[in-house]
Amino acid sequence: MRSRIAVAIAAAVTLAAAGCSGGGSGNDGGDQKSFEFWSFSGINQKAAVDEYQQKHPDIHIKLTEVGSSVETAQALTTALAGGKVPDLVLIQGDDLPKFVEQPQNFVDLRSLGADDVKKDYLDWVWSQSVAKDGEVLGVPTDVGGLAIAYRTDLFAAAKLPTDRDAVSKLWPTWDKFIEVGKQYKAATGKPFVDNASTSVFYQAVNQGDMKFYDADRNLAYDHSPQVKEAFDYALTAAQAGITAKLSSFSEGWSAGMAKGDFAVLAAPSWMLGGIRSNAPATKGKWDIATIPGGAGNWGGSYLAIPKNAKNQQAAWNYIKEMQSPQSQLAHYVGSGSLPSTPAVYKDAQLTSHKDPFFSNAPTGKIYTESLLGLKPFYIGPDSSAIGQEFQNVLTNVEQGKGDPGTAWDTALKNIKTAIGK
Amino acid sequence: MRDSIGERIAPYAYIAPFFLIFAVFGLFPLLFTFYVALFDWNPVGEHTFVGLDNFARLFDDPRFWNAMRNTIGIWFLSTVPQLLIALGIAHLLNHTRLRFATLFRMSMLVPYITSVAATTVVFAQLFDRDYGLLNWVLHLIGVGPVNFAQSTWGSQLMIATMVIWRWTGYTTLLYLASLQAISRDIYEAASVDGAGNWKQFRYITIPSLRPVIVFTIVTSTIGGLQIFTEPLLVSRSAPLTCGPVRQCQTLTLFLFEQGFGQFKFGYGAAIGVSLFILVVAFALLNFLLSTRIRREKP
Repeated sequence: MRSRIAVAIAAAVTLAAAGCSGGGSGNDGGDQKSFEFWSFSGINQKAAVDEYQQKHPDIHIKLTEVGSSVETAQALTTALAGGKVPDLVLIQGDDLPKFVEQPQNFVDLRSLGADDVKKDYLDWVWSQSVAKDGEVLGVPTDVGGLAIAYRTDLFAAAKLPTDRDAVSKLWPTWDKFIEVGKQYKAATGKPFVDNASTSVFYQAVNQGDMKFYDADRNLAYDHSPQVKEAFDYALTAAQAGITAKLSSFSEGWSAGMAKGDFAVLAAPSWMLGGIRSNAPATKGKWDIATIPGGAGNWGGSYLAIPKNAKNQQAAWNYIKEMQSPQSQLAHYVGSGSLPSTPAVYKDAQLTSHKDPFFSNAPTGKIYTESLLGLKPFYIGPDSSAIGQEFQNVLTNVEQGKGDPGTAWDTALKNIKTAIGK
Repeated sequence: MRDSIGERIAPYAYIAPFFLIFAVFGLFPLLFTFYVALFDWNPVGEHTFVGLDNFARLFDDPRFWNAMRNTIGIWFLSTVPQLLIALGIAHLLNHTRLRFATLFRMSMLVPYITSVAATTVVFAQLFDRDYGLLNWVLHLIGVGPVNFAQSTWGSQLMIATMVIWRWTGYTTLLYLASLQAISRDIYEAASVDGAGNWKQFRYITIPSLRPVIVFTIVTSTIGGLQIFTEPLLVSRSAPLTCGPVRQCQTLTLFLFEQGFGQFKFGYGAAIGVSLFILVVAFALLNFLLSTRIRREKP
């Protein structure tokens, strides 16, 4: 209350106007011996920075943990508008499209040699940082992967298999997944999955090669079969009463997870830490099975260099060395964030990794395999708004307030209003 | 001669810092918002002049009118009870026989100095569908569970409760300060004349408090129309819309969603200008009403 948002937005815009004169390009001003690096908090980027400085004592890195990933993107927005930018910045995948749409703000990394390392990375991850004329704006630092975390004790109580391979075989497709949900509901009377919009729609809609835009970067959300299918899966799940109607990351969702109010949820690799901290008493009662549809990803970040950065070469040297397949593998061993470089997916350090909280599931193996079946698709400037409107309509139906018969049309109408076209 | 010029300038020099800072951080951003509202303005991309298109779109946008309804709804649900409760508590705290008066008076400010984010998280838990304290109490009397966060009235009630919780203490202290300025003699004279507690409250307390009541109505209206943090934090799955059907999205949150969520600064600025006009209209209305109240003799 009483926060002066109008003033804040105007102040940000003022900076934008004031900064239009912001300085020249490239490597003129910098000494290439030091560079400024903006990252998010909570992901221990400092470990990588310290390691790099130890190997290169002549380089000084000024690391700033700006805040959450969203706050970092907002700070970058202001910085780009104002002209005073860091040399290197970490951008979360969901925030990336807005920046990719304005490639003139970033260094085209091809000019520094990105084409030489392109082959090291998953093609669909790489493609998300490629702008309209082929400019490469970021190098992927990690990915989320996707799997289903499930409660073995609740599955046993519902007379369902508990072994992770047998469970994975239960649901090769989303249709089968919903069937298993109905069985679980019939046996226990309790909901099966946390919610329809995140655990079903948001995951299924990423499995294919045409999401909200087609290959020519035109809007396709209203006729892409992949989108309609994902929407219908979620609608079916919501109407079947197999969802606990708990929105991901809400207070009720965390509590429900600890109390066993639902038996499964879609879990990318970074979600495992959340399950551990939300439901510490359930240690050993979880296991991890493959995602219906076989492949998926949720999350991941990119390193980019703003156009007006002074120490572009120093920043690029850092990217090249610290995001190489071997460095990403070392980072995985230390922090658990999944490499975006498939060359190391067969490495024993990754495949042998087991998680005791999740019944010793081989998480490295399960998550990297979920990444191999994905195809590149274009993520456009309005992708996040479109996705949010679809999810909102689904949540409303799930809560018993929206009409499932008109849900699709309502979603299309809301999207038209939201994106103005 | 020199001294007198210096003396004449001095007062202006003393107040100049405020006006300078206001011009830079208050007036300029305000005017600049009006300017930006005329553009299709991407903060990291192109700025295209579109005239009044943003406003034309805004008035056709159902989301804008929804946010307007929500803002006024939450403002009403929070301001009216807040001022009434504050008046009652101030009257109690002013009682001569109250012991540890300072302790009680100071504790009124605790919600005000508590972080809004922390308050919001706690209240969201109290109102939770499955494990909330409120639904537990409702369950005891055989009602519910009520899904507060997902319904329009429920989510607005939830936010209004947070606002009441946060601001009642502050308003109470304002009332209390002016209550203490009322001479005890008047109350004693009224007692002698046989006026009870209620009559004293009605015919002495309220009329004496009129100026400060007007002040609190004005400030809480301006604040209430700009409510932002609470609706932003109550819905974790759709924070910028305050839930799947924008059931508690306020104007400031809509502005933030468009400006910083969608990078449509021009459209966001147009919302800001509309909010500005709304606040001015409410302030004028308040002014007219309060001058009438002031003219009425008790």
